[in-house]
Amino acid sequence: MGSPMLALENIHAGYGRFEVLHGVDLRVPPGKTVALLGANGAGKTTLLKAAAGLVPTTAGQITLDGVRVERIPPQKRARRGLMLIPEGRGIFRDLTVRENLAMFAGRRSVSEAIERAVAAFPVLDGRLGQRAGSLSGGQQQMVAVSRALIADARVILADELSVGLAPVVVDEIFEAVNVLRAEGRSLVIVEQYVDRVLDVADYVYVLHKGRVALVGEPEQCRRDAVFDQYIGAATHS
Amino acid sequence: MSEYLPFVVIGLFTGAVYALAAAGLVLTYKTSGVFNFGHGAIGMFAAYVFYHLNTAWGWGTIPSMAVALLLFGPLMGVLLDRVLFRSLAGAGLATYVVASLGLLVFLQGLAVVWKGGNTYRINPFFPTNTFKVPGVSGVFVTVEQALVVGIAVLAGVALTAFFRVTTLGLRTRAVVNDRDLTSLVGVSPNVVTTLSWALGCFFASLSAILFVPSLGLDSVLLTLLVLTALGAAAAGRLTSIPVTMATAFAIGVGQSLLVKAIGTRPSLAGLPTSLPFVVLFVILFFAKKTTFALPARAQERIAKATALRGGRSHRSRFPAGQLLVLSAVAVLLPATVSGYRLSTATTAVGMVLVFSSLSLLLGLSRQVSLCHAMFVSFGATNLSLLLHAHVPFLPALILAALLVVPLGAIVAIPSIRLSGLFLALATFGFGKLAQDVLYPTALAFGSDSLASIPRPAAFRGPAAFYYLVLAIAIAGVVVVEVLKASRLGRTLRALADSPTAVESLGISPWASRVIVFCVSAFLAGLAGGLLGTLVQSINPNSFDFFLSLLWVTVLVVAGASTLGGSVLAAILLVVVPAVLTSRAVTEWQPVAFGLAAMAFAQLPNGIMTMVRMPDWSAAWQRVSWKAAHQQRARERHAVTAPVRAT
Repeated sequence: MGSPMLALENIHAGYGRFEVLHGVDLRVPPGKTVALLGANGAGKTTLLKAAAGLVPTTAGQITLDGVRVERIPPQKRARRGLMLIPEGRGIFRDLTVRENLAMFAGRRSVSEAIERAVAAFPVLDGRLGQRAGSLSGGQQQMVAVSRALIADARVILADELSVGLAPVVVDEIFEAVNVLRAEGRSLVIVEQYVDRVLDVADYVYVLHKGRVALVGEPEQCRRDAVFDQYIGAATHS
Repeated sequence: MSEYLPFVVIGLFTGAVYALAAAGLVLTYKTSGVFNFGHGAIGMFAAYVFYHLNTAWGWGTIPSMAVALLLFGPLMGVLLDRVLFRSLAGAGLATYVVASLGLLVFLQGLAVVWKGGNTYRINPFFPTNTFKVPGVSGVFVTVEQALVVGIAVLAGVALTAFFRVTTLGLRTRAVVNDRDLTSLVGVSPNVVTTLSWALGCFFASLSAILFVPSLGLDSVLLTLLVLTALGAAAAGRLTSIPVTMATAFAIGVGQSLLVKAIGTRPSLAGLPTSLPFVVLFVILFFAKKTTFALPARAQERIAKATALRGGRSHRSRFPAGQLLVLSAVAVLLPATVSGYRLSTATTAVGMVLVFSSLSLLLGLSRQVSLCHAMFVSFGATNLSLLLHAHVPFLPALILAALLVVPLGAIVAIPSIRLSGLFLALATFGFGKLAQDVLYPTALAFGSDSLASIPRPAAFRGPAAFYYLVLAIAIAGVVVVEVLKASRLGRTLRALADSPTAVESLGISPWASRVIVFCVSAFLAGLAGGLLGTLVQSINPNSFDFFLSLLWVTVLVVAGASTLGGSVLAAILLVVVPAVLTSRAVTEWQPVAFGLAAMAFAQLPNGIMTMVRMPDWSAAWQRVSWKAAHQQRARERHAVTAPVRAT
């Protein structure tokens, strides 16, 4: 896979006394997309949160572009180019769309941030003064994904981007994902539509009960009986 | 009409000070989720710092004020955020209430140790000459009044602009909205919260220092300034600074006009001072269900965080062993103590009943009630009225407590619509209102401000009365513990975790909440009757509204979830001060107590978390299981042995 942009090694993490991840390894090469799959409760969201710094790790190391980051707080990881789009619309619900984009702007100017978001999702143009929490689910997710388009993040961790969205909106969201891939960003995608994510992924990791059960390329995985055992139901649904 | 105008001017001045205090309170609540009862105490201490620099060190007014406002206030905010409140993240409401009350007691105690309990006069900072208001005949305004109102208005505009226009303001609102997401976009929520605390404490200091020349430097009055800001803060739903400040001005003017309107009628004398609490209670009492209720998701997030901290006690067994041992010790006590010591023991036993009744709300249903002293007080005054109507003592005692139940039901009404902090504030407002408005009426103390409670002949001896209090306290504690172990207890625990889940099971949450308030009020009323009978005469200050805050603090520090906590709370509050009576101890006691409250509030069940009480029922289960196991083994042996033999 070459020198990774993000490497998680032997990650142990959980909530309070309850350990969820029991030694997970994951490598994301530069410019590549990793699909992270697994059943409910496998530890996918916890792994993304641990990488972003929202869940503390009890053991293991996280390397971002060669620099150890497991001991630094989430905001510093974000400033170093690691972005998590959390499950359930990563937006500030009580702020307007414009204010959300201003928060996401980072080093860019607010007008540039708005320009980039509107270029990807034209529907947001007429909603800039609206409270983000009052947008439709799809539009909220567009605002959330705009964050990835605006920021200069090198690694984007996207958790369940399509959950609860109409298929036509999911298409738009995945178009934005393709833009991010084309820009050479590294992505880790947790997704319920397994076939869709396998179409865009370069590598696949399957988690089972807090451990990596399977690693491979999408085509290999599609043919693998073990993969079918873990994920089969989802690919055929 | 024109005779009211000078009162409007005075009211605007008072309202300006309230507005500054309320703005700081809302600012810190908005950004940190902490309602800081110690807000007024921080301002008070800043005023003491100013006074010390100005008088003891001889600094000029401006440098003294600059240090107190720009250095002490913000530094205090940073310290509080970093040292105290950040470590409480994810804790329940009671923990925050108690930690901030601990801060209040600590700072107030420290101020008294430092400068004594006297009130000091401070010369006005601004010129006192007056000028005529243009266009309004006969109304004169002092320069001081005009400047203070101007500062408040300017501060309100600046704060509103800060939130709307500046990047830091936007980031502050983002932190309030979603702390985790803020960190994910590369902004440190901790830095933003620290700055908000610094700014909030600056406002606390500013309001106190501006008020000092007219109020005097008084550790109690300045500390209580925060309480008058409560009504305004509630009007702004603890989030809107413009609404909060406008209401604060309205309250100030309203108070001043009431003073003029009431004149010298003594029966209504308490009304102006209680206006902020009337506003507070009316707003919370008549609010729509959704206005002040914490969203179900937020409630469940707190419940989850509390559970992760190990903060929930799900034990529901009746503590028969503990109760038996404690009762045996209490029964034997009169054999070893007498005189004032027995009187102290009687008070302590009565307070166990008070704390036990409070634990129903605090420990079981996680509802912070801040008007328990009112229940206790009415228990005593009802008993006094019934005894004077020649009702025999024991029926009168029960009836007096039963008459407190409707009050419990009234207080419970907000609990249906309100949750968490807003319920606590509504109960607090009600308690203060009752003291100001109901106590002077014939329903309570009457115009004499005194209620005498003659002790019945059968219990005139100290030991006989001790045993009466003990018997009733044990009965009350049994009721509390049975209730905790019952289906209602389980429902209330479940309600504290997830009201939505409970409602989805078809259980009505409000019935359970009203019942628990009523039972708690009844038992507190019973304790009030007994404590009143012990001293034989009480006045409106005997169970002052502030005691409610103190009791909640002591109980949470001791441990609100278990019987041991109620007993320890009574010992801490009654026995320890009676034993340690040296002057140094008495002087430093509030300081130590405040520190302890801040430290132990973080433990899930207070000090009792560190005390491993013997688990009698589990031990008994083990013993009985072992005995049953041995019996079964013997029976098996009896059946199988003959078979082996053949």
